[in-house]
Amino acid sequence: VSGYADAGAIPEGALSADVCVVGSGAGGAVTAAQLAAAGLEVLVLEEGGHHTRTDFHMLEHEAYPMLYQEGGGRATADLGIGILQGRAVGGTTVVNWTTCFRTPDDVIEHWHKAHAVNGLTVADLRPHYEAVEQRLNIHKVGLDEANRNNLLLYEGCKALGLPVDTTARNVRGCFKSGYCGMGCPVDAKQSMLVTYLPDAVAKGARVVSRCRVDRLEVEAGKVARARCTVLGRDGYHPTGAQLTVRAARFVLSAGAINTPAILIRSGLGGGGVGRRTFLHPSVGLAGHWKDPIEPYFGAPQSVASHALAHPSSGMGMFLEAAPLHPMLASIAVGGFGAVHAGRMAELMYMTGHISLAIDGFDASEPGGTVTVRPSGAAVLDYPFTPRLAQAMREGLRTLARIDLAAGAEYVVSGHDPAVKIASERDIAQLDSAPYDVGRLAVFSAHQMGGAAMGDDPARAVVRSADLRHHSIANLYVIDGSVFPTGLGVNPQESIYGLAHLMADRLAQVSR
Amino acid sequence: VKRRSLLKGGLVGGVLLATGGVGLGFWPSRRTYQPQAPLRVLDEREFAILAAIAARVVVVPGARPDTVAQRVDATLDMAPLEAQRDFKRLLLLFENAFFGLAFDGRPRPFTRLSTADQDAVLVAWRDSRITVRRAGYNVLRKALVAAYYAFPDSWAAVGYVGPPRIGGVP
Repeated sequence: VSGYADAGAIPEGALSADVCVVGSGAGGAVTAAQLAAAGLEVLVLEEGGHHTRTDFHMLEHEAYPMLYQEGGGRATADLGIGILQGRAVGGTTVVNWTTCFRTPDDVIEHWHKAHAVNGLTVADLRPHYEAVEQRLNIHKVGLDEANRNNLLLYEGCKALGLPVDTTARNVRGCFKSGYCGMGCPVDAKQSMLVTYLPDAVAKGARVVSRCRVDRLEVEAGKVARARCTVLGRDGYHPTGAQLTVRAARFVLSAGAINTPAILIRSGLGGGGVGRRTFLHPSVGLAGHWKDPIEPYFGAPQSVASHALAHPSSGMGMFLEAAPLHPMLASIAVGGFGAVHAGRMAELMYMTGHISLAIDGFDASEPGGTVTVRPSGAAVLDYPFTPRLAQAMREGLRTLARIDLAAGAEYVVSGHDPAVKIASERDIAQLDSAPYDVGRLAVFSAHQMGGAAMGDDPARAVVRSADLRHHSIANLYVIDGSVFPTGLGVNPQESIYGLAHLMADRLAQVSR
Repeated sequence: VKRRSLLKGGLVGGVLLATGGVGLGFWPSRRTYQPQAPLRVLDEREFAILAAIAARVVVVPGARPDTVAQRVDATLDMAPLEAQRDFKRLLLLFENAFFGLAFDGRPRPFTRLSTADQDAVLVAWRDSRITVRRAGYNVLRKALVAAYYAFPDSWAAVGYVGPPRIGGVP
């Protein structure tokens, strides 16, 4: 095996490497590139397929089955929250909407005080953010690059005097076509597929796709091998072939939900594995306008407001835009039959603005819990709490005021039946509307936690200074599952920066 | 480990789904719709139930309930086995005349109701105080609208012109 290989093309048997990295997304790709650059023999295992630019046709019916977990149908156990999470070589970075933030300083301070994260400081991370920002061309965009969906969010915030700004994006020569969520057809998005994975491969790393890690086998306090199932060309059904991987060190970078599931399937359930999984649960408001918005064209996200991120009590939230292609819109829009069809006929004139709840900071917020079903599949149970309901209500109220201030004719919530608001006076209807499972559309595009870092082994899975497992000497977790809380910002850059730092530290001890 | 799921959305929900196929559930379904290609997850009765629901959920000129249901069957093939099983049980429960009588006062299978009564069943599930019924309504509704609107045959109805001709578009 050299470079990229499909697991189905590899003779059944054993592979070996200095370091085996499980997962090729934001955490795994950066880790692999750093370790390969340090001269280590790296093998990356990826459950999803290896799809590239020419496979990305900007069609929802192709993209979701090809590039998302469970064909785009992943949801929490009670189906209360839809989960958009990538599943491909390059992971979620292939499909994310390119919004980049460094981890806020106060979040890292909070982890230090409340979660015994002692081995990681803002100063430690700074040079690593700078490195990934350069490699991924992460740069703040101008307002002239915002599509109408984003521009109206900006104008509405300004009209209300709410702080708002354009975001940084990891793009180079962006066409602003609007299809980030379906894979970039021109390689403008600086996903792992076109950056750190090729960097790793150039230094000798191997990437094996359609290879699902069932479990790690531990012998004498160390992971001896990974047992893997080979998936067929459809990407979902096993071929019947197995692969075994031996390595001196193993790094789990399968992302929140799947990394905890691998630990659980491996019998490594300590440190609260699977618990405290956070989602930034997101609710949307559809604005309806006189003039065409075309919410499917243009950079999907370029504006964000953190005006409500730090409430004096309760859960904070942040506000962004979401692209509305027909399928994504059809799920978010409530109703059925003629009511639903009537709403969909207005798609061209709609904006989609979202409020993302910042979960994990209040001691009363349990977050979600990952368990493993009999088939081995991961499932996340994420309860709706009164605080989450309050955050959803407050977020929608604010979005309604923003859209009306920007000139929307009326706005409609994601409730079913929908709440329609045409004036400031109507906003009170959002207070009496229900905020429970199945009453309104709730999504998550940000999965975090479930294998927390921290220096208290009772509450954390990995040590904070090197992300090494508390009891398994050659096992590391480097991905979004180590975050002890939600982040309050889109997570991709936080994962890049952390992986860049931690892989550097791992390289020091691995040589 | 205790977990909530479609099957454990409260005790009532668990009992409901586990018994979706008993009692008046044996009343044969009206099979207005037949699969156009071999099914991957559903059987022909489940397909007929799903297509009957599709006929009320996706009401757009030109939309075919059998086509939409066939696409949902293909999507289910990518779901974990437990989710597939829950979805199949949900369809049988939705169809079941006994539970229709007990909860909504309609003693006939869903597939044998008038369209107005079928819509009333959807509303009853949507507005139910039982979480598993609301979740059931939502999973059916979302699967069906997604299966319709993901494909180019829906674009004209929503005024979407499709993606620009760049990159890998053939």
